[in-house]
Amino acid sequence: MTTDAYPADGWAAGPENSLVTAASPTALSSAPPPSVSLIGLRKRYGSVRAIDGVDLTITAGEIVALLGPNGAGKSTTIDVMLGLSRPDSGEVRLFGRSPRQACVAGRVGAMLQNGGLLTEITVGRMLESVRNLYPRALTVDEVLARAGVSELIGARTNRLSGGQRQRVRFALALLPDPDLIVLDEPTAAMDVESRRAFWAAMRAWAATGRTVLFATHYLEEADDFADRIVLLRRGRIIADGPTTEVKALVGGRTIRATLRGRNGSAPDAATLAALSRLPGVGRVEHRGESIALTCPDSDTALRALLADFPWVEDIEVAGAGLEDAFVALTTDPTGPTNPADPADPGRSSDPASPASPASQKEVLR
Amino acid sequence: MIVDTAETKATLGGRDHERDRIALAAVTYLRFVRTEVKRAWRNPRVLLFMLVLPVILFGAFSSADPGDQLGSLTVAPYIMISMATFGAMNAILGTAGRISLERSLGWNRQLRLTALSGPQYVLGKLGVGFSLAVLPIVGVYIAGDAMRGVHLSAGTYVGSAASILLAMVPIGAFGIWLSYVIRPENMQAVMGGLFSLLALAGGIWVPVENFPDWLADIVKLLPMYWSAQAGRAVLEGGWIGPRGLVTLVVWTAVLGAAAGRAYVHDQLRT
Repeated sequence: MTTDAYPADGWAAGPENSLVTAASPTALSSAPPPSVSLIGLRKRYGSVRAIDGVDLTITAGEIVALLGPNGAGKSTTIDVMLGLSRPDSGEVRLFGRSPRQACVAGRVGAMLQNGGLLTEITVGRMLESVRNLYPRALTVDEVLARAGVSELIGARTNRLSGGQRQRVRFALALLPDPDLIVLDEPTAAMDVESRRAFWAAMRAWAATGRTVLFATHYLEEADDFADRIVLLRRGRIIADGPTTEVKALVGGRTIRATLRGRNGSAPDAATLAALSRLPGVGRVEHRGESIALTCPDSDTALRALLADFPWVEDIEVAGAGLEDAFVALTTDPTGPTNPADPADPGRSSDPASPASPASQKEVLR
Repeated sequence: MIVDTAETKATLGGRDHERDRIALAAVTYLRFVRTEVKRAWRNPRVLLFMLVLPVILFGAFSSADPGDQLGSLTVAPYIMISMATFGAMNAILGTAGRISLERSLGWNRQLRLTALSGPQYVLGKLGVGFSLAVLPIVGVYIAGDAMRGVHLSAGTYVGSAASILLAMVPIGAFGIWLSYVIRPENMQAVMGGLFSLLALAGGIWVPVENFPDWLADIVKLLPMYWSAQAGRAVLEGGWIGPRGLVTLVVWTAVLGAAAGRAYVHDQLRT
């Protein structure tokens, strides 16, 4: 249906292809439409901007983690993406169509955060009743096997453990044999063992070249499973890149210190640039003479800092939790020397910014 | 192949695609109704309330002197229609009420990811309710024949059943409206009270002929009385009459608009 359908010689192919393109100018694009395309999405709930300008493109076969603290807008983004909620502005396309059309065609499966299971029914019958609502669907036995819970076919839905419920919901999402699966905090109710088993089943499914998007607030989970991380905070994408890079950005430690210039003043632009070039440093911020270095490798960074700036004082090294990392990444908007708002990737390349962190730009696409 | 098959169809044969889309929608709707009817059928509580209770009540209430008259009918056929109507009301309101429960489970959101659309879900629940409503009508008619010797012509059986069902349309809209405005945790209590009140207003517990005049006048402004009356009128050899028809149509419009508004509001909220 997607890339497999393309002949190796692509466009030079036979006359029936040119016939299709002649009849339909929209088929001219040389690549299949992306699995997910979000353009300028915004949604408010009252005075809260749940999504505040999200642009995101996910191509076929990507495994993407939507990472963010609670309240970052992950669930709202997913609801809007699936057509369960209407954006105030912006556009959603799944495989080049509206979410509704993509759902009707059976190309999308999802585990919603608050999506429950029917009560007073067995797992098998519940799956069968939903299976009837797709034009084409895998058998109930098949999806239960893929989710690794074949033995639950006769179990009543209200007798399942938290982990079992999630795996049954995974089976539910697999029913239409979707090309895109969307998971909103899929392992929230699972113990460690179930979590491992769930991701093993998920990996097996994703290995067939499907697209996966999952929301989580566990960095480890994003790191273990995704090959791309999209960081969301307060309804905005603040970083988007390969897992290793984003992880380095949010998973490290923060070195805080006081650094005066030789004449006792706050560090100048050259000093800040030198700091950002130190090995192990991901990102530099400062307010007055206080500096904060976000470091994927704080040990190396600290040695280098002490070697190059032996007069540095009041050194603190703190492990950055995900929430801390987000705070660090988005910095204090009132900070006088950081005019580039990192929450807005479009503006972060402001050349006038003395603190414009090179490594951050690498990560931001 | 440049695009997948569905899109090729959409670009090369728009009309065929439109026909396919409608066919798919119809098939999906019918499958939904069939599956849901089967599910209700397997639920003993649903069957008890919808089928067994009206039959038992018929047996209990129709045991008076068979010669007694209520309006122009004798007791047994009068109570037979009352209980058939009561069972149909239980089926339709009970099924609509499940929307409230399924909303609280998030199940309706899950279903919106299938080919079943939101409106199809709501209309599907009505379809299920009206399909199930046939059951108590047939059950009570059989009980009427077996227990009290009420024999009617085939035309009267079918006509009165159809008349009861048609006159239930405002009750169906009422049920949909309720299930979008009542919190699911309160639904059980609301439905319990409502079944009794509606039955009372429909002259199902106490024949309206025995009501004081002022109460009878009020009841005749409400749809439930006419829902029951629709069946009795057929037994009397007539039809519900213009006053009944207008009352039912007005209530259908009012409650249907309320249900539609509540539904749209819910869709925008989530």
